[in-house]
Amino acid sequence: MNVDFILYIAINTLVVLAIAPLFVSMIKKVKAWTQGRSGPSVFQTYASLRKLLTKEVIYSPSSSRIMRITPLITIASILVAALFVPLIFVPEPVGGIGNIILFLYLLALARFFMALAGLDAGSSFGGMGSSREMSISAIIEPTTIIVFAALAFVFKTLNIFDMVSRMAPGLPAAPTLILISISLFIILIVETSRIPIDNPETHLELTMIHEGMILEQSGRNLALMELAAAVKLTVLMGLLINLIVPLGLATSLTLIGILIAVILFVIKGSILAGIIAIFESSMAKKRFFQLPSLFAMAFFFSTLIIIIEVFS
Amino acid sequence: MANNIDIGIRAVCEFLGAASTPDRIQAGCNSENYLVLKDHEFEPAVSHLAANKFVLISLFCIEGFSDRAAHSLFYVFERRNGILVLVNDVNETTSSVASIFPSASWFERECRDGFGIEFDGAFDTRRLFLHESYPENFHPLKKSFKNAPLITKETINPVDEYQFRTVTGEGVYQVPVGPVHAGIIEPGHFRFSVIGEIIFNLEIRMFYKHRGIEKLSEGKSPHDCIRIAEAVSGDESVANATAFCLAVERISGISIPERAWYLRTIMLELERICSHLGDLAGMLVDVAFPLGASQFSVLREECFRQCDCQTGSRFQRGIICIGGLEKDIPGGTINDLLLFIRQLRKRCRIGLKIVLSTTSVIDRFATTGVIPGTLLRPLNITGPVARASGGKVDVRLDHPYGIYEKYVPKRQRLQDGDVLSRFTIKASEIMDSLDLIEQLIADIPAGDIQSEAQVQDGFALSLVESARGQNLCFVWIKDGAIERYKVRTASFCNWLAIEHAVQGNIIPDFPVINKSMNLSYAGTDL
Repeated sequence: MNVDFILYIAINTLVVLAIAPLFVSMIKKVKAWTQGRSGPSVFQTYASLRKLLTKEVIYSPSSSRIMRITPLITIASILVAALFVPLIFVPEPVGGIGNIILFLYLLALARFFMALAGLDAGSSFGGMGSSREMSISAIIEPTTIIVFAALAFVFKTLNIFDMVSRMAPGLPAAPTLILISISLFIILIVETSRIPIDNPETHLELTMIHEGMILEQSGRNLALMELAAAVKLTVLMGLLINLIVPLGLATSLTLIGILIAVILFVIKGSILAGIIAIFESSMAKKRFFQLPSLFAMAFFFSTLIIIIEVFS
Repeated sequence: MANNIDIGIRAVCEFLGAASTPDRIQAGCNSENYLVLKDHEFEPAVSHLAANKFVLISLFCIEGFSDRAAHSLFYVFERRNGILVLVNDVNETTSSVASIFPSASWFERECRDGFGIEFDGAFDTRRLFLHESYPENFHPLKKSFKNAPLITKETINPVDEYQFRTVTGEGVYQVPVGPVHAGIIEPGHFRFSVIGEIIFNLEIRMFYKHRGIEKLSEGKSPHDCIRIAEAVSGDESVANATAFCLAVERISGISIPERAWYLRTIMLELERICSHLGDLAGMLVDVAFPLGASQFSVLREECFRQCDCQTGSRFQRGIICIGGLEKDIPGGTINDLLLFIRQLRKRCRIGLKIVLSTTSVIDRFATTGVIPGTLLRPLNITGPVARASGGKVDVRLDHPYGIYEKYVPKRQRLQDGDVLSRFTIKASEIMDSLDLIEQLIADIPAGDIQSEAQVQDGFALSLVESARGQNLCFVWIKDGAIERYKVRTASFCNWLAIEHAVQGNIIPDFPVINKSMNLSYAGTDL
């Protein structure tokens, strides 16, 4: 492991932690604008996280150790997964870092523990959330694999680092990129539990999926869970942005290069946050049993990409 | 109308024998008919009315009404435009009619809690509004009970705990929800029995906020009681106050000035608009379509502000009084209302256009939470909920009060009975109410708004169409003070419909079904 890579680990983690709450707020802000409201400040999520960090943690008497370790495992696996997606600077990949399959299963690990914690406290809402999350992930998993397989076919590599730095020979054509972005966008919506899958702003426990699982979390632990969700959103947004428009991504470690990359990333991310918000505002949540129809779309587009790549 | 009263009288003749009837039927002050039954007549009468498609719309108990027995039970039946009240004098026990009229189950349990009357043969003898923590043999509506602070049980014996219907089977599990909910709503407990996500059975338990409204009103002067009537359910203030005043005015033979009725009707319709706008917004929130929801929330808030401008109260409280209105609304203010109404109609149309052209919303609404039309009569389901399921019930048309005879609202009716029908019905009713208000403002006469009100003793039953449906009010004035004030809001009957509406639906759809019915917790639990 060289110095560059150690610096990469530090910079990438710091940037993702710093930017993640901003993107969450931005989506809220744009959604508020579509409804004719002024909405909360774009720094509101930072304040909420700080507030939660100072609050005490309350555990249900019927909860076990799972409840206590889940927030740590979740944030840890999400932060490790964040290392797989270079947001501003691409070093030489080291070891398995950047492997797209491993990335996928790091996200699955976090989700697995979140679902366990949802069941752990024994409340009916947590159980419902976990059961729904598991049903959805069972359906979405083949789709995700196909989408990532399509990526591997297009970029001729399994490593995200190589994909974003366009190291592999033969750059993808624009139509392929459009198809990839549609598939990845659907994966992003599903993985981050947004409308039309789940409503992150709802107060109705009976309809919750992701929020249901973390309903029993409190204080610092809740802050970690919320932060993990925000980081996951940012990482998936980063993956989409840097695969489609890698413009400005630094390949060597210079201060100016990094600064420009950060600024460009925030701008691109804000635009994507706006697109997510408008997409969310344009439709109601789908009926639970009709969710597969949305996944099928991503599945279809990815299969199409593979066919094009194989036969062209 | 005379023809319609005949339906009741004819039915009575049939079960009592023609000879004895005409003089036994007593016409009430508000075109309702009373018939005091002898003991042996009760059961044949009830089964005869059931066979003739009469609907039991209320059942309440009064203590000390008759010399013959301690309690009198008033069974209020409705058929088309006729209201027939059977009065059954009982001491401690009588037979239950719940298996003939399912709506009677809650009514009987309510009478049992309040007065300690036992109903033989009732299929459900659990307590209703007095939960386990209240002591045994405590019946707050008895005259012998003086309104005072009460010591409730500290611990509840597991044997005395409320028994929910047990649903068993492979893969069936229970999901308890409430009484404390997320969001700012009232308390109610929902016990779901589900298989996976599909709701197999739902049992509701209400009455977590009993306020003792009926007891509180006893002994009050009719004038003071209006404020109590307004507090029955917040967003039905005008409807309940109007129902109460209507009953008192009929008892005392007070006819109120025309202008007052115009203004009352405008207020009633404004209240309906506020309530329906809130429902439209709520349904859209529950399917996560905030873009549509926020438009209706904004309109509702502006409507409340308009109410405040007109009457000095967002919920239009404190203006209705016996004999008319406390104060007049000046012409200039009414003109502002006219401008507001025109603007509201335009913006409402825009909002509806956006919502009804969004396929994902329609997809969530259609076929969700169907209430079959066959339930309407047994459970006495009324209001927009009934009209969306093919019901032809609207108090404004069936038992017109005030100036509704002159300004007949459109009869809205849809057949499907799902959330989409209820959404559409409520949207159409908003438009109708806007038209009606505009017409009323155009025709409003000048003149007095309050007539001399000399309250006399007597009793009367009145019906008013609130935003949620048929609100019933019974008032008995004795020695110038309220002896008994009974309210039965539409929600009391409509609540039971939700247990049927959710069956076979999935749990995440429950909130939108619940919101589409817009049931009042406070209006149920007096």
